[in-house]
Amino acid sequence: MDKSDHELNRRQFLKSSAIAVGALAAVGAGVGYLQKVTAENRINQKFLRPPGAIDESTFIYGCIKCGLCVQICPIQAIKLAGIKDGLAYGTPYIDVREQACDFSCDSMQCVETCPTAVLYFKQFKDEGEKAIEKYDKTHERNADYNPFPVQILAMKSIVKMGMAEVKKDSCLAFQGKGFKGTPRGSNFKGVNRSPYTGDAKATPVSEKVYDEKICDICVKECPIGETAIVMADNGHGNMVPEVLSGCTGCGVCVMVCPTEEPSIIVEPIKS
Amino acid sequence: MFGKNNKTPLPPKKKEEIPYVKEGIKFKDWKAKNGSGHKWRTIRWTVLIGINLLFVLSFMFDLSLLEGSLSGSRLFGFYLMDPFNSLQMLIISAYSGHIKLLTMNFIIGFATIFIFYFLMGGRTFCSWICPYHFLAEWGEKLHNYLVKKKKIKEHTYNIYLRYVFWVGFLVLAFVTQQLVFEDVNPVGILSRAMIYGPGLVLLWILALITFEIVYSKRFWCRYVCPVGATWSMVGKLSPFGVKFDLDKCAHCLDCQKVCLVPHELWFVEKGKATDKRHDVGSDCTRCGLCIDACPGNALSYTIKGWDKIL
Repeated sequence: MDKSDHELNRRQFLKSSAIAVGALAAVGAGVGYLQKVTAENRINQKFLRPPGAIDESTFIYGCIKCGLCVQICPIQAIKLAGIKDGLAYGTPYIDVREQACDFSCDSMQCVETCPTAVLYFKQFKDEGEKAIEKYDKTHERNADYNPFPVQILAMKSIVKMGMAEVKKDSCLAFQGKGFKGTPRGSNFKGVNRSPYTGDAKATPVSEKVYDEKICDICVKECPIGETAIVMADNGHGNMVPEVLSGCTGCGVCVMVCPTEEPSIIVEPIKS
Repeated sequence: MFGKNNKTPLPPKKKEEIPYVKEGIKFKDWKAKNGSGHKWRTIRWTVLIGINLLFVLSFMFDLSLLEGSLSGSRLFGFYLMDPFNSLQMLIISAYSGHIKLLTMNFIIGFATIFIFYFLMGGRTFCSWICPYHFLAEWGEKLHNYLVKKKKIKEHTYNIYLRYVFWVGFLVLAFVTQQLVFEDVNPVGILSRAMIYGPGLVLLWILALITFEIVYSKRFWCRYVCPVGATWSMVGKLSPFGVKFDLDKCAHCLDCQKVCLVPHELWFVEKGKATDKRHDVGSDCTRCGLCIDACPGNALSYTIKGWDKIL
């Protein structure tokens, strides 16, 4: 290769490099713009992140979109967002109305499997170990020794995907109404492990039949129990669901709500 | 230039040293005698389709064999991480402090894949695993056909352009605090589309492949893809590669015609080789097309250092 060839090659390289840098700058500007205009939407996202998700504004950079959490969820509660969600494309979310997270895996495996720790497992691990320590102090290591339930309960209780909110206008209990039948119809595909029926595994919501004088399905199906949601007097003599601070935002209540539009919704955590 | 050493070439072979002359037959007969099959291509496509199918089936039937997608996966519970994603992630998280939270699985996955592809030759990933490569390989065939029919013109650029993109995407990741590249990465997009179902984002893949067919051959793979560039750097000193034996070569250039990265086979041209033996450089995808094509078996897979002992 003679000198002029070298010179020509160098020029070509510099020229195409300049174009490349320009293209990258354009992509950068595009991302920056999207970041700005969608930041508000992302923080006020309509969908929930899986348990243990770090702050939404930083969640997005850490998620490599591998989908391991999607694969490991035994009830397929987690889905990947589509391109219409802009920069959140490919990141996991839970649509609680279709399939809520009912904690029936009993292990937070979606969090544990996340390689980049945007679903942050250590907090759950620590909390679980603390619970076991406490349990050890009050229990002998005999045949009944089983710290597992307290461990998983402790892990579950610090989940904070969001906070449930009852819509008074449409909630049946607020109108003093009861509910009879299957809340979401016989074609609904969602499943949950019902504390009400006491099943060992998650079963389809469509198989469950209720007959309540005052509708309290959300309270009965809540996997967390009385620290999260209870039936309480609303001051007018009606017993209505009341969300307490223990709510994890798992969304089972939203999934089982029998009204056309859910009368209880989960607001994602904004930090 | 960069890849070539500055040694003076060996003098061109004398006529009697050319393999078919040595055997006393004509070039055509020699070529016909040794034939050219598609052994390695068949094996390679089987592996490529097999691996991607394993991803799909693992999710479809909950098999726990190869979970996740090509940007991050678990093989029998053992983590594997895409290296460019990991690099971006490290850069972003080092700045934001998230690096302290990164899991051991992340480090294991990153290290494992790094060591594996270091041994296997870096860009081996491209031709043996990458689903976009599979599309682009067919795109390249179509492109070559169109060029031959003079329907379109060829546009080439400097292959070192991809290092500009490599640095550029890392800088972008740092500046925007986003895994920007993963949004446009055809490897991840295709992998996810196959496993979790297609989406509108596939239009991007369509645009890319169309551009490659009608404008510039293998544009993404050659000049842009930072994943390939990472593998190329990983594979610089790889033991597994393709070797060239000058004595068996008849300079027919069949290998260059089929090669996906022809600049790596510079030494097969008459009077270019500087040694009796050459090892192909790090851009080689170890696809084996040249091995299939070579009538004189001058090109073969090798493990550098080992073949002398064995």
